[in-house]
Amino acid sequence: MHEIRIGILLGVKQMVRANKWMSLLMICVVSFTFLNLVVIQGILLGITEGALESTRTQALSDITIEPSPEQGYIEHSQQLLRELVQYPDIASYSERYEELAVIEANYHVPIGGQDPDVIGVNIFGVDPLREMETVDTKSIMGEGEFLIPEERGYIVIGKHYIDRYAKDYGDMYDSLRDIHPGSVVRIWVGEESYEFTVKGIIDSKVDMASLSVFISEKDFRRIFNRADFNVNKILVRLVDKTRSEQVARSLNHSNISEDVRIKVFSEDIPKLITDVRDTFSKLSLVISSISVFVATITVFIIIFINVLSRRRQIGILKAIGVSRTTLVWAYVTQAACYGFLGIGIALMALYGYIIPYFIQNPIDFPYTYVSLYLTTYDIVFRAGMLTLMLIVAGYIPARMIIRQNTLNVITGRT
Amino acid sequence: MALIEIKDLKRYFITKSHTTQVLNGITFTIDEGSFVAIVGRSGAGKSTLLYQLALLDTPSEGTIIIDGQNTSTFSEKQFELFRLHTLGYVFQDYALIPDLTVAENILFPLHMRNIDKIQSTHMLHEALDAVDLRDKKDMFPTHLSGGEQQRVSIARAVAGSPRILFADEPTANLDSRAGRRVIDLLTKINQQGKTVVMVTHDLEYTESCSRIIELNDGVVISDTKR
Repeated sequence: MHEIRIGILLGVKQMVRANKWMSLLMICVVSFTFLNLVVIQGILLGITEGALESTRTQALSDITIEPSPEQGYIEHSQQLLRELVQYPDIASYSERYEELAVIEANYHVPIGGQDPDVIGVNIFGVDPLREMETVDTKSIMGEGEFLIPEERGYIVIGKHYIDRYAKDYGDMYDSLRDIHPGSVVRIWVGEESYEFTVKGIIDSKVDMASLSVFISEKDFRRIFNRADFNVNKILVRLVDKTRSEQVARSLNHSNISEDVRIKVFSEDIPKLITDVRDTFSKLSLVISSISVFVATITVFIIIFINVLSRRRQIGILKAIGVSRTTLVWAYVTQAACYGFLGIGIALMALYGYIIPYFIQNPIDFPYTYVSLYLTTYDIVFRAGMLTLMLIVAGYIPARMIIRQNTLNVITGRT
Repeated sequence: MALIEIKDLKRYFITKSHTTQVLNGITFTIDEGSFVAIVGRSGAGKSTLLYQLALLDTPSEGTIIIDGQNTSTFSEKQFELFRLHTLGYVFQDYALIPDLTVAENILFPLHMRNIDKIQSTHMLHEALDAVDLRDKKDMFPTHLSGGEQQRVSIARAVAGSPRILFADEPTANLDSRAGRRVIDLLTKINQQGKTVVMVTHDLEYTESCSRIIELNDGVVISDTKR
């Protein structure tokens, strides 16, 4: 213990009085290595996590309640909704009616003598207020506004059904031309048609949201003749999203679970996104491993040069009776101190500038806005890993030199 | 009584193409309290012999017995402890640690010996007084003259009261005045009962020595006691 204490003392003194530029270089290498480790991973995971978070807030919410596969709607929906209110974990819910219908546009004055535009869609009937409380409707509106409670005869249409947006996606979807807020469209239900004014256009990077069409539940029940108040789906937003599994379990064990399927968000994620997430996780692992390897080599070389430049000094210390343990600890201490300083500076840059910057200026990717996705565990794990690596990179060259014959070390003889 | 005893000491360096024989079987003893000068012309093997005696290098053949202990059986840890507690070494080029002040250079081996702070401070002051450098204890070695650095090196070597002090050409890099001062210091240390073994090529500095061993081509060619 005494030898270790003296080693630490020697290491600190050598570091404090070392060449300032050398120390600065070392600290910079550690800082950038650490940032490379966390930021690259943060961006890669941010791509998938950003997409998932957008899907959660803009389309699926935390929990969805659906009818069992044999039934098209949730029986005794109103009783179920009344019971949902009793759960303190539930912040809000939005019940959705859903039916297939046809929307027709430009039927008064067909553009360029063409036939009116017709699209087949799933229409959702929602309570606008509860939908706004449950889904982030504000952020998904590209043009106009979302539905307003008590208003009748308005419709909100996803951008994939609008010609000027759909062009970006080729001919994937049928689309309506020249539709803006204020345009009038017709919804065909069987032989009957109903006119609606376009209130807004949804412009979200989440396809599920951009492929949605909303009208108010009152309009919905009227035109689809749904007088039973039995809904097709309920979206549930929780006070704490991390408790979705517990809340879903609790709902499953209650009497409201009969004839319904209760799914947490993770079960509802589109497979494409989970595949992309798995791919990026693997990619992140590969890139991190390469970064760690390159960083190890870089730090090893710098410490090795540092040790080599002090080779004679090490020999002299051995000659005057300083033990090998003390000398090894002196270099391990220096490596650890460079690690702590470098990582400390990198953390300050990360929390003081980089993370706030990404929050303010997320990267615009085709299917989501990307911020850094970093958990405390990720940061602590990488900081620990880098420190350990630095200690090893300090230990090995010191040990290599110290093990040599004392005179050889002093004279530089090999 | 013999404090150091070497028997048929050989040191050779083997390369791919040939073997260089530096010490060719040296045998002698050094009594406690003596002041021994090892002299000879350049390449005679003086420094190599001193390195073996000071346990900085391992002989190719032969044995070194110091204070009754056969050093050829020592483990690395025993070498460390023996160098720390029994031997002091003064290098030709001072070999001070540039990152440490004069005081820290001297204190470092004392800290290694786990000597308490009061005692080590006392030993530091004694050593600094002996070399007349107390006022420069907080300076760094690079701010001292060559003679002063060599005196610090001597202070470091003697601060822990080793039984044997080895000095490798301690005057080689100094002018005659500074060199004389170093020799006077070594003489004083010897007079305090320490055994001093010094390598020098300058016979002028051997007048205080009680014994002069002359080497040539790795063998003792004369051994004069005074």
